[in-house]
Amino acid sequence: MPEATIDRTPLLRVRDLKVSFATRQGVLRAVDGLSFDVGQKEIVGIVGESGSGKSVAIYSMLGLVREKNATITGSVLFEDREILGLSDKELQPIRGGSIGMIFQDPMTALTPVYTVGWQLVEQIRQHLHLTKAAARSRAIELLGQVGIPDPKSRVDRFPHEFSGGMRQRVVIAMALSCNPRLLIADEPTTALDVTTQAQILDLMVTLQDTYDSSIVIITHDMGVIAEMANRVVVMYAGRPVEIAPELELVRHPRHPYTWGLLDAVPRLNVAHERLRTIRGNAVSPLNLPPGCAFAPRCDYVMQKCAERPPLRGENDHVDACWLSDAQKVTIRRTPEHST
Amino acid sequence: MSDDVVLQATDVVKTFSSRGKKLGTRIVSRAVNGVSLEVRRGETLGIVGESGCGKSTLARCLVQLLPVTSGTVAFEGTTLTGLSRRRLRPFRRQFQLVFQDPYASLNPRRTVGDIVSEPMRINHLGSSLQIAERVRELFTTVGLDAGAINRYPHEFSGGQRQRIGIARSLSLNPTLVIADEPVSALDVSIQAQVLNLMADLQQEFNLTYVFIAHDLGVVRHVSNRVGVMYLGEFVEFGDVGSLYETPLHPYTEALLSVVPELNDTDAPRRERIIITGDVPDPADRPSGCPFHPRCPVATEFCRVEKPMLVTISPGRQVACHYPRNLAAVNATTTPA
Repeated sequence: MPEATIDRTPLLRVRDLKVSFATRQGVLRAVDGLSFDVGQKEIVGIVGESGSGKSVAIYSMLGLVREKNATITGSVLFEDREILGLSDKELQPIRGGSIGMIFQDPMTALTPVYTVGWQLVEQIRQHLHLTKAAARSRAIELLGQVGIPDPKSRVDRFPHEFSGGMRQRVVIAMALSCNPRLLIADEPTTALDVTTQAQILDLMVTLQDTYDSSIVIITHDMGVIAEMANRVVVMYAGRPVEIAPELELVRHPRHPYTWGLLDAVPRLNVAHERLRTIRGNAVSPLNLPPGCAFAPRCDYVMQKCAERPPLRGENDHVDACWLSDAQKVTIRRTPEHST
Repeated sequence: MSDDVVLQATDVVKTFSSRGKKLGTRIVSRAVNGVSLEVRRGETLGIVGESGCGKSTLARCLVQLLPVTSGTVAFEGTTLTGLSRRRLRPFRRQFQLVFQDPYASLNPRRTVGDIVSEPMRINHLGSSLQIAERVRELFTTVGLDAGAINRYPHEFSGGQRQRIGIARSLSLNPTLVIADEPVSALDVSIQAQVLNLMADLQQEFNLTYVFIAHDLGVVRHVSNRVGVMYLGEFVEFGDVGSLYETPLHPYTEALLSVVPELNDTDAPRRERIIITGDVPDPADRPSGCPFHPRCPVATEFCRVEKPMLVTISPGRQVACHYPRNLAAVNATTTPA
């Protein structure tokens, strides 16, 4: 992405978002203080492993976390308007209207009992005041735009008659149907093969360009992040541990967890060596340590880590780690760390 | 690694038939369409392909969990295909499977100790005391706490469950382990742990692996040789380094070009080749080359004439009328 086209006036501003669930085993803190901005036309990637709270964070913003035992606090400003805590009725024009969603599994995101055309028309008519006929022609136009061959006849087909990649295109068409300002994609290509993934990522970038929208892409795949994102939020145990522009993050990562995440990826150009791993398993969100959540797995843990590190750093690049900047640079430069 | 062949498959075909739309008709899908391969002792043979290319079906045919429709599979020189279940049994101990889904492949109602010891109990390998001892040993080997044998699968994380699956597969001291997407359900940091464990075990127990995966990075990392499958056939075979550097088949080339990579060096990226369309239905195979409808360099000839898997240079085979990067491959193998 050319950085110059991004307007950094935030379209979405998330501040200290916390989502917790009261369970029989105690309070489960799924998201524990997440703050980030999404600029106009910016693609922000949220990366983290399963259980890091990346999906819950996004769902809670859109009022999709409906569990009775959930507590959501913080602030989410979309186009300068607080959307956290809005009623379903108030959220209606936003969800599917100015914020489009692309879900991970295109089979469950579409209902199997209606044609894709029916589903698109319903979505369009919900948000734009169009006649059935006009909505239908808009649906056909959208299907064509997302690269579905012969949209005129495909519009009357059922989801099961499409392949996985084609289904995800339908979901994208649906997300785009009302010209959203922001597109949220939750693991949009995880269920797809790499050749299809390439098609879909390509399509998303092209469409983002034509529609001038911003994208938040949630993924566990650093490769997808590198391909798509302008800026990256790395999450661990519900907390952001590092936020930086994509190239900066990949080339000069500062948080030990980010190091581990980057080094654990088997590469196409590096042969048969031992992979660096992060020892141990992810922490339980029921039992987060009071200090740094990554401390139990960190190779550089020190006494100070019993206290929770704040996000700090200059300009665009912030991280939550007690190591000094000089220490981080030195550690990353040592031979076993150079990639 | 020696040239001693552990497992040899010759022209294996597996078809599935299902009821057609019209009454009385049958649809025949050729999931595996004439595959020949050999697995050499001590090596890791990687098999990559996208979903639906038949790689899992092939794995099941290799270990006789599915009867082949035609062709033969031989293990250390003995033909397995056509053997009765009883005659097969002594061989089954020698090749074990590690499955993809660590949640579905462990019985939730049995303790993990039970799960790991079951193969030994079935094969009457020692007294219950000896077996219990061996289970504890296996747990330690795969990096689990031996005190956890009385727990149930749900008490373990995905990575730990996969370790349990691996312990079970090792319990009979197999020669060959066929791993079908063993790490695809795991997070990247846990995936790295399991891959390292598998590498250690291979060394320690002199195992031969067939490693099936869709992740090209993972396959590159673990394999000595790699076969690329498309629509039930191998389109390319090669030593891992040369195959990844100079892919011969246009499908392999495209596949490698679209793997998202971290831009952490200034090295120029491969040019992305995005192939259009979807994998064809195995019940309705294209004529000629199976890849021709999506191939960027296909000609009329490809539509008519099916290319055979031919050896281009030592260790490199490809099924394509117009292989790519030929000059580069020839330059590296026949120094001028």
